[in-house]
Amino acid sequence: MKRRILSLVLAGVMLTSLLVGCGSNKEESKDGDVTKVTWFTSRPVDGAIDQTMRQIADEYSKEKGGKWEIEIETTADRPSYLQKLKTLIAGGNMPDIIDIDADPYCQELVDAGMLVDVKQFLEENDRYDKFYPIALKYQEFTDGSMYTLPLEYHVEMTWYNKEIFEKYNLSAPKTMDEWLEVCKVLKENGVTPISVDGIDRWPVQRYLAMMPFREAGNDYIIELRDGKESMGSETGMKAVNFLKDMGQYFNDGFAATDYATAQNMFLEGKSAMYYIGDWEIAAMQDLYDQGKIDYFYLPTAEGAKTGANEFCVNSGIGMAFNAETFDEKTKDFALYIIDNYAKLFAEKQQMSPIKTELPEDVEFSDLYLRIREDMEGTGEHFLKPWDTYLDADTNTIMQDNMLLLASGDMSADEFVKLVDDSIAANKK
Amino acid sequence: MKAEDAKGMDINMGIIQNKKAYAVFLLPALIFYIFAVFYPIEESIRLSFMKWNGIGAPKFVGLENYAAMFKDKVFYTALINNLVYLVIVVVIQLSVGLLFAILLTYMKKRVTLVKTLYYIPCIVTTVAIAQLFRSIYSTEPLGLLNQFLAGVGLEHAATSWLANVKTVLAAVSVPEGWRFIGMYMVIFYAALVSLDPSVYEAAKIDGASELQILFKIKIPLIKEILLLTLTMCLTGALRGFDIPFLLTAGGPGNASEMMSTYMYKKAFSSNQYGYGSALAVFIIIESIIVVYLLRKAFTTREDREIKQMEKVQRKQRRSGK
Repeated sequence: MKRRILSLVLAGVMLTSLLVGCGSNKEESKDGDVTKVTWFTSRPVDGAIDQTMRQIADEYSKEKGGKWEIEIETTADRPSYLQKLKTLIAGGNMPDIIDIDADPYCQELVDAGMLVDVKQFLEENDRYDKFYPIALKYQEFTDGSMYTLPLEYHVEMTWYNKEIFEKYNLSAPKTMDEWLEVCKVLKENGVTPISVDGIDRWPVQRYLAMMPFREAGNDYIIELRDGKESMGSETGMKAVNFLKDMGQYFNDGFAATDYATAQNMFLEGKSAMYYIGDWEIAAMQDLYDQGKIDYFYLPTAEGAKTGANEFCVNSGIGMAFNAETFDEKTKDFALYIIDNYAKLFAEKQQMSPIKTELPEDVEFSDLYLRIREDMEGTGEHFLKPWDTYLDADTNTIMQDNMLLLASGDMSADEFVKLVDDSIAANKK
Repeated sequence: MKAEDAKGMDINMGIIQNKKAYAVFLLPALIFYIFAVFYPIEESIRLSFMKWNGIGAPKFVGLENYAAMFKDKVFYTALINNLVYLVIVVVIQLSVGLLFAILLTYMKKRVTLVKTLYYIPCIVTTVAIAQLFRSIYSTEPLGLLNQFLAGVGLEHAATSWLANVKTVLAAVSVPEGWRFIGMYMVIFYAALVSLDPSVYEAAKIDGASELQILFKIKIPLIKEILLLTLTMCLTGALRGFDIPFLLTAGGPGNASEMMSTYMYKKAFSSNQYGYGSALAVFIIIESIIVVYLLRKAFTTREDREIKQMEKVQRKQRRSGK
């Protein structure tokens, strides 16, 4: 008897695992008329975007009399999210709505006809001008097409500890050379100049992108990707050497330092500078109000193509729609998001990619208003992160090895060769 | 009562002799096994001859992935790293596990308590263990290991263990070794206490020392268990993935890259499912070879002679009939 039960249980387990594996996307439930839409997302749970979207989905569902439901499946950790997403897509189970950067993988999905042309959708429905132009431009591919919808809008800056700066008679650097000089003075005085989250890789990759952006905007990385430029060209070497120089001012063991640790080091005054975007203003707020910290944007360089008001502005990971399941109902929901998102999102002291008047019943902090003003004044160029340009393989190789470059464990030549070889090998 | 017992036994015997019943009971597990183990291996082998980025149809490229693999520098780095990892993990797990088990046999009281305490790391989730060791190794805030070094006056030896290319490989190997000490200890302990005491008590009377008893009698007697644990341990280490991946993801650079982390990265970060599968197939073959060599090494000449004898005897019996 026991064994029979066991075999039944085993058979049951098998069946369930089979069913789980075959879970389909949009299901018309048995009642016939409840539409279920899945959003496979990578936004922090209970973060501002998550909250806003749930609010919107609830209201929309109410308006539709409960005949419409959204199922939000969140994996905040980006690498695991991407792995799950790629596995779902490889298995032919792409969810209705996904989060994705306009990177080469996304381009492949577009080439396979799997994503909705969001630019066309916005233009057809007169929503294109409701967005800040840069927020949309960030989502574009190099050819100007756009398949992802932004839900956030950010600037990135270097935060610095005013007390430490004053102690050593330093001021916020205006040029890249001054920046290096500031770091040098700090280091000579036994202060850790910059704390960096090396585990997530992207913060280090920003330092690699800084000099080329000043020299040539995003043209350098586009040409590098297309195999027309070498990592070892004049501009490329400036990038490599800048990271090498900067690397010596990162905290000890930055390669194994995570996001929270790097940020805490700065907040506790154990490092003098920290590079992060406005999405962390809540963490910076108190110290900023006490006058202990301030920020500066990417310093300029001599003969630079891009100006002081041009730096890393981004609208984050975008939202993309499955072309196969993008019917009238989903379209209607997409428009509903665009029309209701901005106000709800701004209320949470967030920068919205969709233009909106600030709600009057909410009191915004000085810091928020100051950054908002900065964002209104940004130039037409913006530094677009390199990981959105490079093919996945080259990006992995670059991200792995730039840590060694920055810590002085790899020579510039070796790094250049690895990147160039990988780009050549992955070129189609 | 007795008659009923006999009847019950009859039924049992009937089931055991009934081949259909065997099949019915084995089938679910077998199907599950085929589905969960053989099918993925078959798919890996199939994919390893393809070029596929996860979108659209895979393209057949023959042995291209394998050719690329043997030209890939990182592949060799990963292979060597994996062997170092294997040595560290096996040495820690088996030697410390065996040592603890031996010490445990001398304990008279609270054996179960000690066993349970030492077993705990095996049931703690990997993520928690990775987090634990990340704190132990960290420099900011100062971790346990660096504090200890500072405490005994070895400040200069303190380093960021996971960021330093010279120490990272050992640093990701140790947690994996540490966490399963308890498991191997329990296995060895069970084997040691199940030995017939009269054998080594006789040796004791003949004047053998404790060490002699241990190395000449006890350990040779649990050889089968050693083979089993070594097999588990080696194949486990060859597939080692979770802790190295969680601690460093193979970094910095490829300084702590394992075969499995590299396979994962190629398949899921680089979208090269074909190449990743080729690496996976290599890991399978590698494991099979290691187990085969191990079995060979453990079959002593004596065993071989006994087997030979049995073969001869069987032949004789068959020809006699």
